[in-house]
Amino acid sequence: MQRFLLVFFLLTLNACATYSDRGIPAPVESSAPVESSEGTIVDGQAPPFTGPMMPESRSSQGPAQESAGSVRGEGRPAVPEYETGSAAAALLVSVDTAIAQGDLERAAALTERALRISPRDGYLWYRLADIRFQQERYTDVAGFAQRARSFAGSDRQLTSAIDDLLERSNQATR
Amino acid sequence: MKSKQTAIKTRRWPTVLRRSLLIGTVVVAVWCVWIDYQVRTDFKALQWELPARVYARPVELYVGAEQSVVQLTEYLQQLGYARSAQVANPGEYLVEGSRIKMRTRGFDFWDGEEPALYVEVEFNGDRVRALRGGQTNSDLAIMRMDPIEIGQINPETGEDRVPVPLEEIPQQLIDAVIAVEDQRFYKHFGVDPIGIGRALISNLRAGEIVQGGSTLTQQLVKNLYLNRDQTLRRKIEEALMAISLDLHFSKEEILTAYINEVFLGQQGSRAIHGFALASEFYFGRPLGELKLEELALLAGLPRGASYYNPQRNPERATARRNVVLARMLDQDYITTAVHDVASKAPLEVVNTRATQQRSTRGYPAFMELVYRDLSRDYDANALRTEGLRIFTTLDVGMQNRMETILANAVTAVEHESPDGSSPLEAAVVITDTSTGEVRALSGGRRGDFAGFNRALNAVRPIGSLVKPAVYLAALESEQFNLASVLADSPVELAIQGGQTWAPRNYENKHFGDVYLFDALERSLNLATVDLGMQVGLDNVVNMLTRLGHSRSVPEYPSMLLGSVDMAPIEVAQMYQTLASNGFRSPLRAVEAVTSGDGAPLERYGIAISQVADATSIFLLEYAMHGVFERGTARTAAGRLVRNLPLAGKTGTTNDMRDSWFAGYGDDLVGVVWLGYDDNRDTGLTGATGALRVWTDIMIELDIQPRRNLPPEEVEWSRIALQATRSPSSRNCTNVQSVPFRTNATPDVSVSCEDNGSLIERLFDRFRDRR
Repeated sequence: MQRFLLVFFLLTLNACATYSDRGIPAPVESSAPVESSEGTIVDGQAPPFTGPMMPESRSSQGPAQESAGSVRGEGRPAVPEYETGSAAAALLVSVDTAIAQGDLERAAALTERALRISPRDGYLWYRLADIRFQQERYTDVAGFAQRARSFAGSDRQLTSAIDDLLERSNQATR
Repeated sequence: MKSKQTAIKTRRWPTVLRRSLLIGTVVVAVWCVWIDYQVRTDFKALQWELPARVYARPVELYVGAEQSVVQLTEYLQQLGYARSAQVANPGEYLVEGSRIKMRTRGFDFWDGEEPALYVEVEFNGDRVRALRGGQTNSDLAIMRMDPIEIGQINPETGEDRVPVPLEEIPQQLIDAVIAVEDQRFYKHFGVDPIGIGRALISNLRAGEIVQGGSTLTQQLVKNLYLNRDQTLRRKIEEALMAISLDLHFSKEEILTAYINEVFLGQQGSRAIHGFALASEFYFGRPLGELKLEELALLAGLPRGASYYNPQRNPERATARRNVVLARMLDQDYITTAVHDVASKAPLEVVNTRATQQRSTRGYPAFMELVYRDLSRDYDANALRTEGLRIFTTLDVGMQNRMETILANAVTAVEHESPDGSSPLEAAVVITDTSTGEVRALSGGRRGDFAGFNRALNAVRPIGSLVKPAVYLAALESEQFNLASVLADSPVELAIQGGQTWAPRNYENKHFGDVYLFDALERSLNLATVDLGMQVGLDNVVNMLTRLGHSRSVPEYPSMLLGSVDMAPIEVAQMYQTLASNGFRSPLRAVEAVTSGDGAPLERYGIAISQVADATSIFLLEYAMHGVFERGTARTAAGRLVRNLPLAGKTGTTNDMRDSWFAGYGDDLVGVVWLGYDDNRDTGLTGATGALRVWTDIMIELDIQPRRNLPPEEVEWSRIALQATRSPSSRNCTNVQSVPFRTNATPDVSVSCEDNGSLIERLFDRFRDRR
């Protein structure tokens, strides 16, 4: 009984040990998964781009298909499908068009435009890395790929695709 | 005998005369041939030296874009768009409550054409809620406005022009020019004897020169090839050249050259040539958007661009315009009704601010950065003569808002200066956190004044702004964590030459054992020296280099406290790397360069390389948040309550010569420097000077809070509030939760996490309470 009382007493004391927050963020006991994208992700295909940027938009093909040629191997990422009519989706369709036309630098510029809208979108950083890979600018690939990974969070498919791209880039430079 | 000699002489005269005439004729003929040859070859190869045109980043519109009715309206005004109820033509807009309707002009960007478009934008406060447009007025995903031209890099002659083909010249302008300058242009052969006669009679009647007899062709020749001398020889030369030009080239070619060549105004050292540029300069709109009375005003300017300047002499300009309109009526180019309406139209007030923005005086500090960046790849001559188009990263809206705040903010912190002394100066650099793009820049307390560009060129000691590099090097070594205990105690270090260095804290206080994060938050010098000497000066210098500092830094202990010289833009580079979580992106002001006809030449895209690991950066940032929450910037926290958490650092140099603040949120990195050009005491610390200016600017720009999620290798642990080196003196009554690398958790002497069995922890706690 005495031992029980001692335990009870000490537990009470423990509760008195105050947590002084003083404006610091609420403590997180373990690291939380990182959200992968700012864009709202919905199921289904990316919508056709109807805006002025892409007069030659193709209505039935989303970025996944368009970019498939550039993403080889097992580590192909799950392509986020952006909200219908969103700026990022529209720009990505334009990116794919530019790649299909062989205009990789324009594709890079369009991806950068999308990144200015969604700078924490790991998939967009990955696309930029992939475009640089296609341009054989291998020294640039690592930076973009690592940046993509820093935003990939729990998206294992994207992480795997990034690692695959890095591996291929490393092989190409050997 | 005498008469014989006279007869011989008489016989010789015709011979001499004949010979002289022959020689003279040959000389004149050769001269004519030479002139003809010269005119033919020169005019065929006529190529103006064209200045490089520099454009700001265009506003992009999409659902969710940060843009308000007021901001977009200001942007449209700066582009010279006209308010119109109909919105029928490109360059017109209408504001209806929270909606803007407009017809864009379209623009040929380096990566493709943005077509002219009818657009409706709906706003919800500071964001775009809906975007529609096109022929069917359907939803648009994204569109780019045309960019604002922020300056030119002019040829040494100062001549600026926008050459345009004849098809792009409004017919009414051509009619007006011909009516007032050379009504027989299509009939004469370069020189117009009838016109000269008419002018002579008019001038004799008036008793002064009221009408010139020069044709457009002669005026063109004069501008292109001759000086201003009024000699007979020059007049003859001019006539011969005009005839030659008329003989070899079509009237359309001559007219096109005239329209693009003629001098129409002056702005400082910049000479405005050609009607297309004059239209932009005086009306802020392209030629195609001008009304008859505006075109007539321009057509009247060649007679005296300064005398009839509509900005300075509106009455004279109006009278001259009406003369042009009257000539057009006389020659049946316009009807009486049209004439009457146009000649009664008020002279549209020229938006001088808009036109000024197009000059190099608009954003002088940023323009210098552009020029500096470009000069790595382009020689000065190419920039001044080839008509390059340069697309930059400047955010005009942000720049304007920053400038508006800056001057007042500096005045608010400035201490009274002795009479005649230079005022407190400032420099501001604002960059994009993710991409390293320079979005706004000021080289002085007034951003629109040219002069010494302190943002790029004031290389000053950075004081405590260097400390994050010291702490990052320590955290990266994994020998230290945020709760490592440092000695904030007086110390004397032996330095070169047998001397000693005894650093001090601000106000000479010292705090004994302190936590690493606390030392950074409160910017404690002695604790920082303790840490830096343990980490190693070489590691700190290496970290500075990795963060983007390109100069060599001597490895002196005083470097730990900021005896490192940097310009504000170099500080921005260092903090940009921290803000992008250890990914360094070289700061950029130029995004792309095209030729004058839009062919892509060069693109300067985002480049990044990882120079520090995410976990070390995350830990460092905890302390840099603390600077606002508990440390040297806590005085600003109350005003930034909507924006926190933010990361930042104050900096003050010896004798308060420099007041610095560098900080960042999720979207922006901002660096502010305050100081005197003569290096005297400002009476300001980083917190009482630069921080207050930074805060004013960032509230205006609504800097976004940091939302840096912890990497996987981070866990949070509670530590005793008071740092101690001995477990026996640990006091877990008050604790603070602090992030740690999973393999570098707090020392047992400070940890208040429960270790061991429940009973042991309970007893441990009980012991702590005694």
